[in-house]
Amino acid sequence: MKQKAINVLTIISLASVTLVLLPLFLENSPWPLSARNYLELHGVGDSGAINLVSAIYLGFRVFDTLGETIVLLTAVSGTIGVLTRAGAVLAEGYDTSGTPALTEQEKKVIMDDHTFTLAGEKRRSHALRTHLLEVVTGVLGPVVLLFGFYLMLYGHLSPGGGFQGGVVTASGIIFLALGNRIGAKNPLIRASVLDRIEAAAFLLLILASLSGILMGRGFFGNPLQDVTAIPAGYIILLNGIIGLKVGAGIGFLCIAMVGREIS
Amino acid sequence: MVFEDIVFAPILLPLLGAALVITAKAFLQGRPMKILEYIGAFVGLGLPWLSFALTLPAVTSGRVFQGVIGNWHASVGITYQFDGLAWLVNVLTYSVCSAAWLYSLGSGPRGPAFTSVFLILTASLSATIMTSDIFNLFVCLEVVGISSYILVASTDKPGASLASFTYLMISASAMVFFLLGVYGLYRVTGSLSYQGIAQGLKALPDGGGMTAVISLALIISSTVIRVAVMPFSGWLPDAHALAPHAVSAVLSGVLIKVPLFALSRILLIMPVGAQAGQLLGWAGALTALIGVILALSQADAKRLLAYHSVSQIGYVVCAWGIALYVGITTSKGAALMTAAFLHAFYHALFKGLLFLSVGTTVDRAGERNVYRLRGAAAILRSCGERIPVTLLTYLAGALAISAVPPFNGFISKNAISYALEGTPLYYLLFAAGIGTVASFIKLSRIYWPDRSRKEIPVPAVPVPLTSKISQGGLALLCLGGGILASRIHSLVMLLLSGTRAEYLIQWYSAGALLKTGAVIALGTGVYLLTTTGIIARVLKVIREQPGDFRGLYISFSIGTALLAGWMLLHL
Repeated sequence: MKQKAINVLTIISLASVTLVLLPLFLENSPWPLSARNYLELHGVGDSGAINLVSAIYLGFRVFDTLGETIVLLTAVSGTIGVLTRAGAVLAEGYDTSGTPALTEQEKKVIMDDHTFTLAGEKRRSHALRTHLLEVVTGVLGPVVLLFGFYLMLYGHLSPGGGFQGGVVTASGIIFLALGNRIGAKNPLIRASVLDRIEAAAFLLLILASLSGILMGRGFFGNPLQDVTAIPAGYIILLNGIIGLKVGAGIGFLCIAMVGREIS
Repeated sequence: MVFEDIVFAPILLPLLGAALVITAKAFLQGRPMKILEYIGAFVGLGLPWLSFALTLPAVTSGRVFQGVIGNWHASVGITYQFDGLAWLVNVLTYSVCSAAWLYSLGSGPRGPAFTSVFLILTASLSATIMTSDIFNLFVCLEVVGISSYILVASTDKPGASLASFTYLMISASAMVFFLLGVYGLYRVTGSLSYQGIAQGLKALPDGGGMTAVISLALIISSTVIRVAVMPFSGWLPDAHALAPHAVSAVLSGVLIKVPLFALSRILLIMPVGAQAGQLLGWAGALTALIGVILALSQADAKRLLAYHSVSQIGYVVCAWGIALYVGITTSKGAALMTAAFLHAFYHALFKGLLFLSVGTTVDRAGERNVYRLRGAAAILRSCGERIPVTLLTYLAGALAISAVPPFNGFISKNAISYALEGTPLYYLLFAAGIGTVASFIKLSRIYWPDRSRKEIPVPAVPVPLTSKISQGGLALLCLGGGILASRIHSLVMLLLSGTRAEYLIQWYSAGALLKTGAVIALGTGVYLLTTTGIIARVLKVIREQPGDFRGLYISFSIGTALLAGWMLLHL
């Protein structure tokens, strides 16, 4: 009886949402053109970026981008917090009474430096790894990293930019981590190094946004206007910083998720 | 450097502080890390006070700092506005956030990860009230949201992660509707700034028609879900009750109010905004009454406080909505808006204080059930509190929320009832006031001496000095708000409406005192009634209603549809 009432309510609420949203999608008045026309006429001249998407997200609406970057930063640090806590809870509360005790050999595999398990999780680790995977990702890693940096630094000219470049860089970092053979040490896949890159990039981003104030050009005013002849200099700088931050942050998150060291 | 840039200090300094703290965490360890963390917190929570002092003369003279961030053309850039409202809401935010961070130093959660997220939350709250661009408002609410989900979950208490997840799911879903609303307004006006949208709608022959009204309704309902007016309040009790105490204080004190005042910037200049305000005002009055009944039925001390947040925000929304309805340029509207802000501010102070002092108490006692916990005053004494700071500050908070003079709650509740006198809303709020007294008598019983004199099973943990300082500071502010009533009231009215108060309210008149006496007597009567068999059983039934995740979505969609329907009726 109660279940039925809830189902009726669910149907009513879905119907009401549809009714409310329908006029929004049926709107057929002509699109307003003021912002579009402004961008067409002045977009490149004002910002110096040929890629107008960059001009919008790092020029006209860069404050929104700062907010979105902070969302990502906070999400990464929150996820790490939840993961470490979940790991600790799993390790404490895991019920082992029903499973047979592990042999020394199995324990060694679980505790191995290159396991892909969360703390407290008991699973044969090397099931996820094959030689093919190691070789391919190890070779591709540096190439993907390079492509990520290209996307970051040419974002003002062609499709790309800090966020996209950062995500590609992060996949390069994951490739390096997957392809890392036993014994090899690569600083880029160490969580502590990525954490430092992310922290430094965030500090730089805040300082870059503040620098306009110190130069008398206002919050997020272009501080490089008189310093460099490249009109999009500030956009390139911001793209680079955001790319580093996003790449390090997402890379850190993924490395934490595949069960590598978390500081 | 230009003087005008100082208005960004409340956003940028906490962000700079957060960046310093994150850098400290990544590069340093041990003592140097702690020192840099404290420097970051000082930069983020201390220095902005200087900017408030410096901007006060300008905002009192009616100056509005506005412009486009980055000095772009207004049609493509992000516009901001720093006026009396932004100044006041910033002061509200920073008073509670500073006290709560100080409290967290002694009682947890500690560490740079917490401090950095906390500073980001403070910055985003400031940005929310300063923006006058609708997409930027979306971004600000997202940052507020994500940092608060993390802060709620930053404890090992069972259930906190689930509460945080519920909060995340419902408000993230609501933000999708917010975005649809932004789309609708941009679709018909081609503009994102509040002013641009309002002008664009005026220029259209039908004023934007259904699309504009529905978009506005979507934006209102998805913002109001953060404010937790019924029927949008289902997520609040768990999140506020299970979060760490310092975080509960900020969530209840600040987080549910800033979006409300940010919303008033939009409603004031949009068509049908006044009617939306009227509906919300009624919802607020009902929320005040239903919230207090739910609070009265709770057994968990912090859940009881959380339901009181729902109830008290009802008072604020009621005064705020009716102020929008009559127009804040009228003298009645100005009085109501002033009362709404005063109550929001004072509630932030006393509810923050209550969460902190009750939190200190239940931690020492190891028991949160208000029916079982007794003799908490003795427990606190055995924990080394020779001067009963926690007990006294709790009493200050409880008297303030029950509107007993000379505490600040007496002033703000009277300001609301003075402005609403003669309307049916007045009686709803009067009834809610009686319930508040009754439920605080119930909560205060945890401090009553324990007759059975059981041995206290928990080890005595001393109350940290920082907790005492932060509780004491908030209690003094509660008292100060009551004593300096006329001054603060006229300052708030000047900042919000640009007019000096035309009339002087006799705060401590015989009539007001008599009314308070009647409310206390009735409240005591109601409390005694709730201890009798049949009513206690009814309250138990209310308390044991299971929470329903789907119910949150159902109430959100039906509430949104009702709001949209109401607004279309008045088109």
